[in-house]
Amino acid sequence: MIQIFLVFWLISALLIIIDKQLVHLIIHLGIFSMISSVCFFLLAAPDVALAEAVVSVFTTIIFIVCFEKYYSLVDVSVVKDSKGKIWRKLLPIGFCALLAVMFLMFIPDVPASIYLKDKYITMFAEDIGGENAVTAIYLGYRVYDTLFEALMLLVSIAAIIHLSWHEGKAQIEEQGESGMGNYRIASATIRIIVPVLVLFSFYLMVNGHISPGGGFQGGAVIAVLFICRYIIYHLHDVKIDRIIILEKLVFVLIAVVVIYFIFLGAGSWLSLPGEVYLLIMNLLIGVKVACGLLVMFYRFVIYERK
Amino acid sequence: MFNHVGIIEIFAVIVFFLSFYGLITSKNIIKSIASIGIMEIAVIMFFLGIGFFDGMKPPIGANLENAADPLPQALVITTIIIGITICAVNLSMLITLCRQHKAADWDVVEKKSSE
Repeated sequence: MIQIFLVFWLISALLIIIDKQLVHLIIHLGIFSMISSVCFFLLAAPDVALAEAVVSVFTTIIFIVCFEKYYSLVDVSVVKDSKGKIWRKLLPIGFCALLAVMFLMFIPDVPASIYLKDKYITMFAEDIGGENAVTAIYLGYRVYDTLFEALMLLVSIAAIIHLSWHEGKAQIEEQGESGMGNYRIASATIRIIVPVLVLFSFYLMVNGHISPGGGFQGGAVIAVLFICRYIIYHLHDVKIDRIIILEKLVFVLIAVVVIYFIFLGAGSWLSLPGEVYLLIMNLLIGVKVACGLLVMFYRFVIYERK
Repeated sequence: MFNHVGIIEIFAVIVFFLSFYGLITSKNIIKSIASIGIMEIAVIMFFLGIGFFDGMKPPIGANLENAADPLPQALVITTIIIGITICAVNLSMLITLCRQHKAADWDVVEKKSSE
């Protein structure tokens, strides 16, 4: 079963690389992400599949905004296809094929170590709590990863804000057309879909410790919800500064919760079960990721668009 | 020759070096950025493929007999979020470059920035 999807996966990756038309990249990237999500699901990793499926929506929208900007700035007709000699095209292909074969030859011929796997699978229920081993690992045994991932998100947002062109002045031009708000089918669909998305994101965050899902996926769904709202109504009423402040506050809260529960011994003063810790952390990480992705998106759309 | 490597790892390595080829040969910067994204997903597939056998179940629930390895999955979830931030930072750098040079091709940008 997985072999079929792996072949499709390879073909879609090949399409991204060899297609000359640049705009087709958006569609090919969407197909690639969808097939890799299915492959992750077949590899018994539903958490990863969910995260990839949700995040690919965001990537596609960022690429669409970027292409819109690209075609308005760059004179595409000037670019001509330069003809090189045949060996100049064959040389990189041979180089990459050689590297791939060498890499496959030097993979050691030993079975994968299952020491940590057995330890984690037998111990996580009493050490951390919950029923989802993946959540227990990234919030319990490897909480440093999550902390530094959250810090990385903050740093990248700082980079995007710094790199955006209109520094400091928030000039938002009133656009003539008001998005797709005039299309009654689109606005009726968004009205139906918004409560479902809100419910789904809270389901993912609250049930993260006993089922596939968690803070990352739920936060990304919240960000997608705001993006849908923007695409239909073109509303600019979101205050970016407040979202950034909220994100920093949530990061401090995450650090405080981790210090209290993990570093000081889980709930030695208040005897709280591990599920409470997982629930609080999933909710906080959800808010953090949602804020981060929203700041990125609004920065891209409002400051890069006109 | 490759008997000790599973089919998933072989496909992941092929896609990784395919995107590496795209990264070093593409004329356009947007395509290079997309190639970096593909590379990342290939690495994720490689991680999940190590030690996977047919018939494994997700590591969720009370009965965890014959479950897949949860450690690479936990490592990889953070990688996905980092990947999208890398993509966004790259694209915003690209737009700044487009504003300065009115071009997004490696050759043209190199020529214009050396003048």
